[in-house]
Amino acid sequence: MRTRAEFETAFEALGDAARRDVLKVMGAALAMSGLSACEGEPDPRAIPYVTAPENLIPGKPRFYATAVTFGGYAQPVIGTTYDGRPTKLEGLPNHPMSGGTTDAFTQGQVLDLYDPARSQTVRRDGRPASWALFEAAMVDNARRLDARQGEGLRLLTGATSSPTFARELKALTDRWPMARWHVFEPVHEDGALEATRIAFGRPLSMRLQLDKAEAVVCLDADLLGPGPHQTARGQAWAKARLAFQQGSGRSHLLVIEPAPTQTGVMAQDRLAAGHARIGQLTQALAAACGLGHATVALSPRETDWIGKAAALLQAAPGKALVVAGPQQPPEVQALALQLSARLGAIGQTLILTEPVLLQPPDGPTSFAALTRDLLAGKVDTLAIFGCNPVYGCPADLAFAPALAKARTVVHAGLHLDETAAFAQWHAPLSHALESWGDARAVDGRPSLIQPLVRPLYDTRTIPVLLEALQGRPGAADRDLVMQTWRLAWGDGFDDRWKTTLPKGFVDEPLPAADAQAGALPAIAVPPDGGLEILFRPDASAWDGAFANNAWLQELPKPFSTLTWDNVVEISPALAKEKGVQNGDVVRVTSGQRAIEGPAWIMAGQDRGTVVVRLGYGRRLPGGLADQIGYDAYPLRLSSSPWRVTGDLARAGKRHKLAPVQPVTEAELADFVRTAPADQARTVKRAKTVSPSFYPDKPQAPPQWGMSIDLDLCIGCNACVIACQAENNVPSVGKGQVLQGRHMHWLRVDQYREGPDEAPDMAFQPTPCMHCEEAPCELGCPVNATSHSAEGLNQQVYNRCIGTRTCSSYCPYKVRRFNWFDYTGKDSPQVQAVRNPDVTVRSRGVMEKCSYCLQRINEARIKAELEGRPIRDGEIKTACQQACPTQAIVFGDVSHPDTAVSRRKIQARDYVTLEEADTRPRTSYLARLKSEGA
Amino acid sequence: MPAAAAAPRKKPAPTKTNFAPVTAEVTRIPLDFPQRRNWWIFFVASSALLGLYVLSMVVLFWNGVGMWGVNIPVNWAMAIAMYIWWLGIGHAGTLISALLLLLGQHWRNSLNRFAEAMTLFAVVCAGMYPILHLGRPERVFWMAPYPSTLGVWPQFRSPLAWDFFAVATYLIVSVLFWYIGAIPDFAATRDRSRTRPAQLFYGLISLGWRGASRHWLRWRQAYRLSAAIAVPLVVSVHSEISLLLAAGPVPGWNSTVFPPYFVFGAAFSGFAVVAMIATVLRRAFALENLVTPRHLDLLGQLTLLTGMLTAYGYFAEVFSALYGNDKADLLVLHDRLWGTYAWSYWGAWFFNFAPLQLLWIKRFRINPVWLFLISLSAATGMWMERFMLLVTTLYRTGLVSSFHSYTPSVWEWTQYIGSIGLFMTPFLLFVRFLPMISAFEINEARDEGKTVDEA
Repeated sequence: MRTRAEFETAFEALGDAARRDVLKVMGAALAMSGLSACEGEPDPRAIPYVTAPENLIPGKPRFYATAVTFGGYAQPVIGTTYDGRPTKLEGLPNHPMSGGTTDAFTQGQVLDLYDPARSQTVRRDGRPASWALFEAAMVDNARRLDARQGEGLRLLTGATSSPTFARELKALTDRWPMARWHVFEPVHEDGALEATRIAFGRPLSMRLQLDKAEAVVCLDADLLGPGPHQTARGQAWAKARLAFQQGSGRSHLLVIEPAPTQTGVMAQDRLAAGHARIGQLTQALAAACGLGHATVALSPRETDWIGKAAALLQAAPGKALVVAGPQQPPEVQALALQLSARLGAIGQTLILTEPVLLQPPDGPTSFAALTRDLLAGKVDTLAIFGCNPVYGCPADLAFAPALAKARTVVHAGLHLDETAAFAQWHAPLSHALESWGDARAVDGRPSLIQPLVRPLYDTRTIPVLLEALQGRPGAADRDLVMQTWRLAWGDGFDDRWKTTLPKGFVDEPLPAADAQAGALPAIAVPPDGGLEILFRPDASAWDGAFANNAWLQELPKPFSTLTWDNVVEISPALAKEKGVQNGDVVRVTSGQRAIEGPAWIMAGQDRGTVVVRLGYGRRLPGGLADQIGYDAYPLRLSSSPWRVTGDLARAGKRHKLAPVQPVTEAELADFVRTAPADQARTVKRAKTVSPSFYPDKPQAPPQWGMSIDLDLCIGCNACVIACQAENNVPSVGKGQVLQGRHMHWLRVDQYREGPDEAPDMAFQPTPCMHCEEAPCELGCPVNATSHSAEGLNQQVYNRCIGTRTCSSYCPYKVRRFNWFDYTGKDSPQVQAVRNPDVTVRSRGVMEKCSYCLQRINEARIKAELEGRPIRDGEIKTACQQACPTQAIVFGDVSHPDTAVSRRKIQARDYVTLEEADTRPRTSYLARLKSEGA
Repeated sequence: MPAAAAAPRKKPAPTKTNFAPVTAEVTRIPLDFPQRRNWWIFFVASSALLGLYVLSMVVLFWNGVGMWGVNIPVNWAMAIAMYIWWLGIGHAGTLISALLLLLGQHWRNSLNRFAEAMTLFAVVCAGMYPILHLGRPERVFWMAPYPSTLGVWPQFRSPLAWDFFAVATYLIVSVLFWYIGAIPDFAATRDRSRTRPAQLFYGLISLGWRGASRHWLRWRQAYRLSAAIAVPLVVSVHSEISLLLAAGPVPGWNSTVFPPYFVFGAAFSGFAVVAMIATVLRRAFALENLVTPRHLDLLGQLTLLTGMLTAYGYFAEVFSALYGNDKADLLVLHDRLWGTYAWSYWGAWFFNFAPLQLLWIKRFRINPVWLFLISLSAATGMWMERFMLLVTTLYRTGLVSSFHSYTPSVWEWTQYIGSIGLFMTPFLLFVRFLPMISAFEINEARDEGKTVDEA
């Protein structure tokens, strides 16, 4: 406790300065201290992905295959570096898991590298120390532990799949057999492993083959929602959907869920039901498919849904899949697994493998066991590496007080976070983008992590710290990784290392495990205890790990479009009952535990369900995330991590919330159209072009255009962050978002129509439309926005004087204005993430989507050097490249045989606000009805 | 008249009219200012407002236009509303002065000088706003067609480029017209000045006027010519202003009724402000015998006429939206009538047209207090209308996803309130130092046998 107090005084000097001011102060300090460690060159031993030029050419990017981690899984990426500065992450094109796509979190991770609030120095009792002191202390400690065979040494990490970590851990436990490893991962998949244990006798990982599935039933399973699996599942689902669009195969998705999810939006039939009710409905569905019996009384709507689901599932043997979400009780998930197995899913739409994540000795109770042992005084040295248990600890485990019972607590993390405040030693960790390492993707394929840049600060990786813990300071992270793979590959190591590194991953998925379904699990109906309070990770902050990322904080959350806050999501009926409005602070109680947070009314949510989002209410002095939102963990129980029951009442206060899109109710048909399935295969009738006052624009090829398939868009927001990273789009903070001044060039619009209980919802990515008859061009008095010969609507920043006429005239309001100087005061680290190919805009100028003009020009230069026209597909806009479902296609619309032209000729192609007659180059493909197909 | 022609040149016979009282009454005000204490009170107050204006401007330029409440989609709001409002007020001065001059309506003579001054200062107030609202105000000269070495020109399809020419032309013509019209009175003031600095000052600005026939001939040509230029400008400038809105494909703006609608509205608010100034000045400087009840009556009639024409514009707007039955137009109409800013719509209706109806009755037209209050109401109503036209259109337009409300910031209000100081301060200086009523034109009319009422 003493350390905590001292830790806090260090920040008292800053007084009540606004968060942004603090950042500035820190940024200035860091400019002198931190970046001196950055030598501006990549690690010379890393091997570039595409070409390895003899010398670094300034201004020319290099690309390295590597990976970042998310929830313990690798997200394989190609990192773009300019002169040693990583600026952008793209999916690894050849990786079967992602197909070169990414999710929003992965896109955002490059900013985490430059987070000005990152920890940079070793600390002892909160005061700066040195690695030498730390390592000396560890050598002493190791000697002590040797004497007692490691008894009392506990290691606590987040979920991990790293083979090098596994090897290091084994070495450690071989030397110190009494040492024990524990895992703390707030958003874990323990329930899924437990379910496989119930169904098949041992814990297994599930690899969904959504691309092969023609009938998918999700029971509280957000398959397409945020998380480590989103890219893989989104990509696979889109493959099946594309096949359906082309007339081969069907595509049915039915969802029951307590609260709206992206999967629910894509479903052809979505039913809202409480968390506990879903267990019963799973039984009913299983029974309807001939598995077991159910005595559940169903409402007509439920009967209808289950009848439909059962019929569709049974009509697709071997191509059906039933999934219950990892938050459901393991028995329910197990029943869903057995139902899938009965429908012939195993080996077809569902592959079971040995667990991808490393499993700690105590399994799901690992963290509880550690807390127990701490309290019992059995822990001598506790090493907490890369996780933040003091912040995310469930309410029933008094972890922070228990820490005082350990003799030595060593913490290593990216930030001086809540846990660091309780540790004697704090060691700064390296970010994945400046580390050597390895991890497995969700399909089990190991990725090699190579650094894009030398560590910005004097930091270490977890395997290096494990070595230090064993009294062997000074290990090199690269050597440790090489050692792992040398053991795995044997003689062919050198060659294989050289070929694997540029490729980025080892193409060895985990083999399918043999699994035989056992007896049907019994499903207990939990007692009714009032409202069901569900814990869900946040779409921006996740479990809190991404809370300090400005891009992600300003990323509108699905459905609510909120930024910079988490909310208590309640149903419209409950809101009415309790007299709660959006922004009213509510008190959510469960037993003796209570939290307070602002309410948000979520149309389509089950009446008795309250969703609280994890990842906020951080205490991170000097960080962006410090004390924004509310902390939901104090309501959580280790025994029941996803659902508790309780009540909700108004707290009598209000909290200002900043949604990017204040209005979401709309007549869907105005913007997001729905068409019969055959319209994807019929050619649209040519439209007569209405006359224009001005002469027609020249149409010499290439003419750029974009097509966005709303039938594929899952609203994951990866495109938004990709655009932000590619185009140096500034984050402006909550105050500016509240004023309607967010800067996203590309936004994902959210619409809903129909009754509050069961609205029809849709996503619509909206970039600049690049109109042929652009009103903005007409309005600008100084020619700052003009039409290119290739049909681009170009914004000339240094000609703009900021009359904002273009925005007033723009029917789509896609233009963004620099009301203040949003970029000039960025800290040097944040400046380093900028793409040098894109101008950083100054105060007082308009900006907007350019169709990634810099990428077009790069391709043009390349094509001209090679004396050929630009190939179709050669240019991928940042949003297109990131999109997991490939909903966005860009290309030459003047050529009839390009991918974009083939899309635009479909009968379901349309433009929004056609009545404005601006002839947009960005058009949409209508959503398709699944029924009857 | 050969006999007369043959007769030796004699001194002209003394005219039957005695010019001295009127001229003296007008010129005594700058030379021997009667209301020093009140003037100082007003002057200090308006200087304070001007100071607020300058302060707001410094804050704005230092931090950026984000100091205002504007956003996407409402990226034009108070500033543009104020711009249109001030410019509209200005138009009445030109109309009274130039149009009535050309039509031979001598009763304007008691009003035209200060009405023109009002025009000048209102145009200055208006002209500042398009500069203030820019993201990069230091580059405002890029709107002008100058031979840049880069070969870039303004974009001539833009209504803003037209606007630049319209307002610049209007400002120049207004200054010239006002100045030409005042030269004889400057000379009269010069002749009555008793101190050397006053003699020098008025001597310089009267450009050597001696009242020679040749002077009068040239003067009349110049004055009538500039009047003839100024009158169409009123229509063209405010029509052009309306195109700032009407030329874009924005439902609620994109309407052919906008140019006349704006011109009538401009004249309406302008006449109202002229009436306000006239009632105040005649009371403050005891000019009741020059600005007579008949003048107030005529001002009231003009205000009523232009007010009813403006009401027609309101009606036409609603009618065309309903008759056109276009979804987007109906949505805008709905937002105006029932949306967040419905107060500005109904406020505009009420303040513009409800008190206005009293002006059908002569008793209210000739009563300065009533006329002042009704005019004040009209000026307020027109301000609301300008605000309403901008904000209720932009805050919910196009895609539902970009709907966003707008709240003026403190600095937007101070800029507006301060601009009253920007108007009042030079106007008070004008009242203090220059002949505020056209004495010679009244005399001329009287010489032609008209009473002051008619003159």
